[in-house]
Amino acid sequence: MGRFLLKRLGLALVTLLLLSVIIFVAAQLLPGDVGRAILGPFADQRAVDELNEELGTNRPIIVQYLDWMRGVLTGDLGDSYAFNRPVEDLLWPALEKSAKLALLAFLIVVPIGIFGGVAAALKEGRFRDRVISIGGLSATAIPEFVWAVVMIMIFGLWLNVLPVTAQAPAGADFFTQVEYLLLPALCLVFVLFGYIARMARAGTIEALDADYTRTAFLKGLPRRTVIRRHVLRNSLLPTIAVVATQVGYLIGGLVAIELIFNYNGIGQLIFRAAQKRDFPLLESAVLVVGIVYLVATLLADLLYSVVNPRIRLTASES
Amino acid sequence: MDETQRRVEEIRKQSSELENHIIDQLIEGKITRRDFVRRGTVVGMSIPLLSFIAAACGGANETATGASGTSGGAAKPGGALRTATISPAAALDPLTVADEGGLMVLGQSGEYLTWTNDKLELEPRLSESWSSNEDGSVWTFKIRQGVKFHDGNALTAKDVAYTLNLHADPKNKGNALSAFGDPGGLSPGGAKALDDATVEVTLNGPNGSFPYLVSADNYNVIIVPDGFDTSKWDKTFMGTGPWVMDTYSPQQGATFKKNPDYWDTSRQPLADTSELRFFGEDQARILAIQGGEVDILSQFQVVGGGAALLNDPNIRVHEIRAAQHRQIHMRTDQEPFKDKRVRQAMAFLLDRPSLITGLFKEKADLGNDHPFAPVYPFSDLTVPQRVGSIDQAKQLLADAGMSSGFSVKLSTWDNYEIPQLAQLLQSAAKEVSINISLNVTDAGTYYSDFWLNSPLGITDYGHRGVPNVFLTAALGSKGTWNAAHFKNPTLDGLIVDYVSALDIDSQKAAARKIEELLLDETPVIFPYFYFHLSATRSNVTGIIPTGMGHLDLTKTGFTA
Repeated sequence: MGRFLLKRLGLALVTLLLLSVIIFVAAQLLPGDVGRAILGPFADQRAVDELNEELGTNRPIIVQYLDWMRGVLTGDLGDSYAFNRPVEDLLWPALEKSAKLALLAFLIVVPIGIFGGVAAALKEGRFRDRVISIGGLSATAIPEFVWAVVMIMIFGLWLNVLPVTAQAPAGADFFTQVEYLLLPALCLVFVLFGYIARMARAGTIEALDADYTRTAFLKGLPRRTVIRRHVLRNSLLPTIAVVATQVGYLIGGLVAIELIFNYNGIGQLIFRAAQKRDFPLLESAVLVVGIVYLVATLLADLLYSVVNPRIRLTASES
Repeated sequence: MDETQRRVEEIRKQSSELENHIIDQLIEGKITRRDFVRRGTVVGMSIPLLSFIAAACGGANETATGASGTSGGAAKPGGALRTATISPAAALDPLTVADEGGLMVLGQSGEYLTWTNDKLELEPRLSESWSSNEDGSVWTFKIRQGVKFHDGNALTAKDVAYTLNLHADPKNKGNALSAFGDPGGLSPGGAKALDDATVEVTLNGPNGSFPYLVSADNYNVIIVPDGFDTSKWDKTFMGTGPWVMDTYSPQQGATFKKNPDYWDTSRQPLADTSELRFFGEDQARILAIQGGEVDILSQFQVVGGGAALLNDPNIRVHEIRAAQHRQIHMRTDQEPFKDKRVRQAMAFLLDRPSLITGLFKEKADLGNDHPFAPVYPFSDLTVPQRVGSIDQAKQLLADAGMSSGFSVKLSTWDNYEIPQLAQLLQSAAKEVSINISLNVTDAGTYYSDFWLNSPLGITDYGHRGVPNVFLTAALGSKGTWNAAHFKNPTLDGLIVDYVSALDIDSQKAAARKIEELLLDETPVIFPYFYFHLSATRSNVTGIIPTGMGHLDLTKTGFTA
């Protein structure tokens, strides 16, 4: 296990390094001028030039990158160009918000998705299976921003039962925060339900066909016990992988949802940083999303090995 | 002679030559009461005094313009106001703020020497009164005494002089530099504190509208304490205004409480607290007020979902005629736009009344290819309006030897109704064989790479209480925003005449000449001037928006 973890950690560091280089180079390719983006269209050109000089954005790319990397390695993410304050001040609150939304969405969609998938698999090819499979697939095919508009219209404006923004007032209690996050979380549930249910369904069908399931039935074990002990445990494997890969999307990829619901998560932060050519903020935010993604997939692998010990052995031996 | 006339005579004896000239213009019927009040405020006469003289001396009436939809019953004291505003684009530094989201915040806790109301009249704020020398090159401001900054320190003339010089110094990278540019501009050191209560501002030349440049229109110049580091302004929101910052989160919002030491007893905030919530997207702001998440929407556009608010029974829309507009520039120093007939042909392609209906639901005024918006009292509206005509465009192109058309790229950026305007121009141009390809980018790219370098482009301009900066920066030969690269010594001379004019007759005379010249030369198409729109829930009353984008919430409250 130790070797497995070390190997994964090493791979993660290489991935993050590559990610940081790609983002830095991509950010340089963005058209426009940092000083102009910050000072606004009508700022005097002399002022723009002076600001670029002050920020060092007119230095060679490699110098800028190494300078930024040196800071990161010493725990200093630098200052946001646009907001003239430490990146940490903007990044951590945004990450916290994204994590809250992702958590709520997961807490709703994972049990429902697994339950739906298993329920469909147990009635494979019958009406219930078709409703869940086709319904889930259709919901997934609709982009989240379309869901957002539909949900806002129905629950926010027509029925007026849920807030149309996701940002709870300052000092709001736990339940108020959940109330504000419910609509965006439901949009994500619709988008993710199809994936998770499909994986759970496929895993369940495979497990139901497996020899060990047949043996369990032949032993005379009750159907409920067979499903709980033998089928569910094995059917969850592909579901875990799907859930883990969606973590990165849920933490950093919800730009449209965050914009529509005016939620200042990390997706919106990345979007704004790219618009402003705010390299320190953009780099750090993307790197954090990358770390979250890598940690999530690592945890999924560990969970995999807990659920199925054969995976752990294979990884250790390789 | 009755008592009223005797008082008027006394006032006239104490008034300057310039003030008496304006009173004469009213008596002779050369200006309306509204123009009299507006012009009188610029030279430093108080609104009550002007109202008294206007009532005593008569003068032509006119239909009122300005804010509408402000009725709705009396506001009750107390309550917590929630306002949806545009997210400030960058750090809240009074020197560098350059967007409507940022200026909204500055105007809550900060104050200006003067305030431009919705009728473009100047009201005194931190300056009690002001006056100029004979040619308008030196302005003296009497600074209000007994005013305290939020840190408890008293406001003095030194603070005012420091603030003005700070913004006038090119080294400080200030956004107000363009407004303080020549002719009639302010150089560093031009503002001097003569004593604790008097600031004398010596300009580079005459400027008859200088008090507008220290008003909320020049939104950067909130008065800060002597020596204050504006890059740290967002830590305190330092100012003298009616609201004191309580909390602030970049990108998220700010909350304010009442200033217990606020000097103006008539403008003590009615509500207990005020919260500005920042929104990155128009649609999200509009949904927020429709869904009751906020009580006030600082600004919205008809295009982009705002049309839904116009007929919403739960929403009250407040509209102000303003000078905000789009400029379609054509590079006059390059083909195919070197010949003014080609530029005129382009201007004839647009059916402006249809644009106003389609893009603004009638919430805009027609533009006539010059920056003198109908809202300005000194605009000469008798200059014939250019009317769209494809036939005339074809004829002009034929006269210029361009009847077979040409291809050109139009650059602009993606926001508001701008892409639609670009498409409409593109579509109309096809009828005269002009092939326009569109290059629609984000704002940063457009302003960095294309604005001043494109043969054809569309740029957005915000409202100003006077058109000086539109003239000097966007159309003057040395203008830093002159995207059309238009160089015309006659226009430069007329701009100097206009800027230095102290009375409305001279301003109107110069304005007419400029309007005629620009209509003929057409370096820039000004298709329309659109209204500033804001909105409240129907149970909210008393908001005081300005065309610039400020929102005075001191008299705002809930009716139920």
